[in-house]
Formats: sequence, C-alpha cells, structure tokens
Amino acid sequence: MDTALADRLAARHHLHSQGWIARRSEHFHHLPPPALEAWIGPEPDAPACEAPALSGAGWLLQPVGPAATAGVDARWLDALDPAQRNALFADLPGPGDGEAAPFAWAHRALCRQGLRLRIHTPPGKATADCDTVWLHLHHQPRDTVEAPLLVLALEPGVRCVLIETHDRAPSACGHALVQNLHTHIHLAEGAQLQHLRLALPQAQDRMAQHVHARLAQGARYQQALVATGAAYHLQRTVVQLQGANAQARTAALLLPAGQVLEQQVHTRLDAAHTAAHTEVLALAADHERVVANAHSRIAPGAHEAQVRQRLSGVALNGQPRMVLRPHLEILHDQVQATHGATWGRLPEDALFYALQRGLDEAQARALLTEGMARAVLERAFNDDPGAQALAQWLDSGVLAQALARQLQAEVPHAA
Amino acid sequence: MTPSTPLLQVRDLRVDVGERTVLRSVHLDVAAGSLVVLMGANGSGKSTLGMALAGHPAYRVASGQALLGGTDLLGLSAHERARQGLFVSFQAPPDVPGVKNNLFIRTALNAQRQAQGQAPQDAFDFLADARESAKRLGLPESLLGRPVNEGFSGGERKRNELLQLALLRPRLALLDEIDSGLDVDGVRAVLALVQHLRAQGTAFIVVSHYLQLIEQLQPDAVLRLDQGCIAQSGGLELAREIARSGFGPKATAPSTAPTAAAHTVEA
Repeated sequence: MDTALADRLAARHHLHSQGWIARRSEHFHHLPPPALEAWIGPEPDAPACEAPALSGAGWLLQPVGPAATAGVDARWLDALDPAQRNALFADLPGPGDGEAAPFAWAHRALCRQGLRLRIHTPPGKATADCDTVWLHLHHQPRDTVEAPLLVLALEPGVRCVLIETHDRAPSACGHALVQNLHTHIHLAEGAQLQHLRLALPQAQDRMAQHVHARLAQGARYQQALVATGAAYHLQRTVVQLQGANAQARTAALLLPAGQVLEQQVHTRLDAAHTAAHTEVLALAADHERVVANAHSRIAPGAHEAQVRQRLSGVALNGQPRMVLRPHLEILHDQVQATHGATWGRLPEDALFYALQRGLDEAQARALLTEGMARAVLERAFNDDPGAQALAQWLDSGVLAQALARQLQAEVPHAA
Repeated sequence: MTPSTPLLQVRDLRVDVGERTVLRSVHLDVAAGSLVVLMGANGSGKSTLGMALAGHPAYRVASGQALLGGTDLLGLSAHERARQGLFVSFQAPPDVPGVKNNLFIRTALNAQRQAQGQAPQDAFDFLADARESAKRLGLPESLLGRPVNEGFSGGERKRNELLQLALLRPRLALLDEIDSGLDVDGVRAVLALVQHLRAQGTAFIVVSHYLQLIEQLQPDAVLRLDQGCIAQSGGLELAREIARSGFGPKATAPSTAPTAAAHTVEA
C-alpha cells in the first residue's frame, strides 16, 4: 500500500474511531452539519460512481489586469500520488482536535487534488518595485463529493489581490455537490492579501469551506465574502495573528436564498499591537436560517491588541431565524475590544425617502439592500488597491447575482 | 381639468398621527407656478401636511381630498404620488447607507421618466446634469459619488435635497424648512432654484419661519396653520405681522366648517 492511500485510510480510521461532530456541539448546534458519510464519499478502493463525471477542472487560475511584476509559482498536485501528496501537505498544520477537526480529517481522507501558489519577489528585484499581483481563482468541481485544497503563501512584503469564485451550473450528472474545501494562507512579514470570495452553491449542494490564515509581523489580511445558502453551507475562517502589528479585517454578506447558511470567524490575536475586525451582514427572509459566529481570542501578552465585532441581521420579510453570536475571550489587560449584534428590518425612513423620490417598493428595497451589502463589504477594503478591486468586482455583477438569488427565493409579499 | 383649475386642490383634509388628530380640516388650492408660504407654531401641522400628501404610512388620512392635476393623490401609493410630480423635501433627510448619491437620484429620475413614457436618461447625460446642478447649488461634486447623506453636514443634506429637486423637476414641491442649516450662499441657491423652477411651472409650498427668506421668495400667498386648520391667509404683510408678534397664545380651535373655503393661490 502506498503512503498516500495509507494516509487516507488512517484519516478514515481516525474519523470512525473518534466520531463526527456531535449534534449538540456548542459550536455547530444551531446548524448541525450532515453526517460523516456525506463528506468522505465511497471507500478509496470502491467502484467509481456510474454517473457521468462532472465536467469541471478543479482550480482555474488566471491573472487579472496588468502583468504581474512579482513572481507567481503555481503547482497543481495530485494527492493520490505519494510524492505529490507530501509536497501538497508539506508544512500545513495537522487536523488537530479542535471543534472543526472532523472536517479536517474528512478532508485528509478524501482530498484528491490541490493547488499550491507562492507569490514572491523575483530574484534581483526589490519588493517595493513590485506592483500588486491580481489573480482570479475559479474552482469547478471535479467530483460530486470532493475535498479540494488550496495553499497560498505570500513572501515578505508581497501584495496580492485574490478573487476566488465558486459558482457553477447544476451538475451534469444530476448529483448535488458535496464539497469540503480547505484553504491555507500564510502571509510572511509585511505581506498583504486582499481576498474577495464568492461562494454561490446550488440549492441542494452541501458545502463546507474552511480558510486558515496565519499572519506574520506586520502582515495584513482582508477578506470580503459573498455567500448564498444551500442544503448545508458552512463558511469558516480562522485567522491567527502571530506577529506584532498584524491586522485582519473580514466582512461577509450572508444570503441564505431559501436555504441555510452559517459563517464562523475565529480570530486569534497572539502578539502585541494586532488588530482584528469582523463584520457580518445577514439578509434573510421568510423561514430561512442563517447563523453568524464571531469569536476572538486575545492571548496573554497581546499588548494593545484591538478587536471589533459587528454582526447585523436584516429581516427582509417574514420571520427568518437569524442567530448572531459575538464572542470575546480576553486574556490580557491592556486591550481594546468592542462587539455588537443587531437585528432589524430595512430602515423605514430610508425606504420611505426612496418611495417619495419615485422608486417603487421593489426598486427601493433592492437599492437599499444592495447599498447595505456594499457598505459592509467596502468597510473590509478601506484602501487602494483593495477598494478599487472590490468596486470593480462588485460592479461586475457579482453582488447583483447573489442578491438576485436571495430576492428570487423570497415568497412574494403584499407591499 | 381646465387651465384655470388649480394644480393642487386640498379639501377638508383631516390627518391623524397615532391617536392624535394633527390636521383637522385643511382647505388649500395652489396654482401651477405659484408659491405659498406656510407658517405656524411648532406642532401646528406644517410637516404633517407634507408627509400626508407624500403618503407616509404613519400619517393616516381620516377624511378629505387632495387632487394633483386632477388626480386623486390619496388613492395612490407614495411612489405613484412622486411620479405624478409631487416632491417633498425632508426636514431631516435620512442616510441611505451604501447607495451612491448619483445612482439614487438617477434611479429615481428614470423611474419617474419611465412612468411618464419617456426614455431613461443614460448615465453620462445624467452625470453631466448632476455636476452642473451641484455646482450651481454649491454642493461639492465629490458628494455625488458618496452614499446618500452619509456623513453629510446639515447644510449639505439640504443642498442635496435641492439637487434632487433641480434634477427631478416636479410639478409641485413642498419644501419643509429648507433654509435651516443653510448658509447665506445656500439660501441664495434656494432662491435661484425656486425662481428658475417657478418660471417653468413648478408650484411651491414653502414651510419657513424666516421673514428674510419669505420676502425674497415673493410668495403669492402666506398661510398660517393653527391647530390643524388654516387660520389666516394673506400676503407678505401676514408674514411680517407673524415675525413681529409671533403666533401668540393658542386660541380656541378655528372653525372647520367649509366656510373657511379654499385658500386659493394663483400664479
């Protein structure tokens, strides 16, 4: 038996012996994930599914805008090949035993391919002479049950704008997709990543996407996420601010679109003068369910660390179930931390203002909804070139497409 | 509707807000191109008249009639009233988070144009008009690209109301204390815009407490609202009298009988 297969079987064995996430788990009880069997697919040596394969090609990488002056190394690796598997998982933390560890073990058990990206300053060039690297990474599923991997490393001082998209037509074989995606990001000293993420699964898909980011001294990570609901959809981001002065900002627009959606953002401030801002806007209607968790931990010795959490839910109509859970764990005295969660309707004064100017109810609600969504996402990217990237991205129809899913899923109500 | 029919006809309008009757019986005619100044003590119902005509859901019309160009305003929803040509400026214009000012106004303008069977104005033409109007009103061009009223000063909010007025070109505009928060240049901009739009047939109801502005507006009539009814009507001399003596102690409620008649204002 080769080491790749042995690794996969060992992960399966671990899962079977340790069990899956308990339905009463504190971290997942508002939206329990489907059972283990859904995530690991058939046994590695079982006959393949007889349905036609999906037509996707995994990760598709393309540069955006002007040619990059920094170096971009991309390696597509086969996780079923022992040597390539070693290279793919090299230097990544193990699955561990945290609350979401079963997802990581399931990923090890199933992962068949991955992409490693390294962005660096070419030899003989100064980092300051390199422009921001713009990349678009689109993922198309290759299997109906899959566990893709992305590993992204930015070397010291490098700046990158990454647009990552997950949207697809319904699968050709009629199967709903089950995806357990793991992304590992490492930002070296002074590196900056502005990460625009779009996750629009089909209604019957079950999707769990995990982003693990580690930031060295002075590194900056900004993430703007637009996600729509599915039969199950989890977006989980863990940011570890390991070096002094590292900063992270995440902003998410959550649109259950007739289904369910959960986001978990964990920020760990391990060093002095680190800052983490988390903002979420959930827009839901009727009987949809959406859960947003923000958990920040300020470690002992993280002097002058700053945390801000702002979770907002807007009921567009009906009585959706929105769970907004800010959480702070502070283990050092000299820090600043604020958190808040608010729940309400679209602002009535602004709605009437728009009606008085001649917009009908549907136009006014759509305009206000898009405006609120934009405002939240723009706050994650409060400087160039991120702000410019975000504006272009949002103007490209991405936001309109996501909001259309949400608004189309609503049951029509009398004005 | 004949050429002599007033643009706005309000008859025996009664408006309740919550459990309270704010307007008891208002009669008012306003001709196209004319300007009426509405004065009254705090709580007399001036803003209520605007909000009720605009169709705000908190202002419940209990009885009466309001016709704009012969169309029954009260039978229309708020946006339909706006599309009939009614513009009501807000005393405290609200923020519209994340919606850029130029997008907001262009969407409103094109909604109105479409309702009137006109082609929508394209973004470039609109922006040219908006820049020109903003310049005339002393509104920094940068505010066109910012979210509506977000972070605007009081004066900028009022100028932004004027910008919308200039671009939407309504048939009837009710300006509720448009001068408050405006500096002298802003007041001049109000006067110039009102004069320009009046010449094109827009009628105005202006709520103001300031005699200097009222005199410069050259109103066709000045009305005093008291306890939900139009208690007095006259010309500039009434505004001067109010400025000199104030609104005085609250008298017993004025008669609500139709003998109060419509306060007709012709251009």
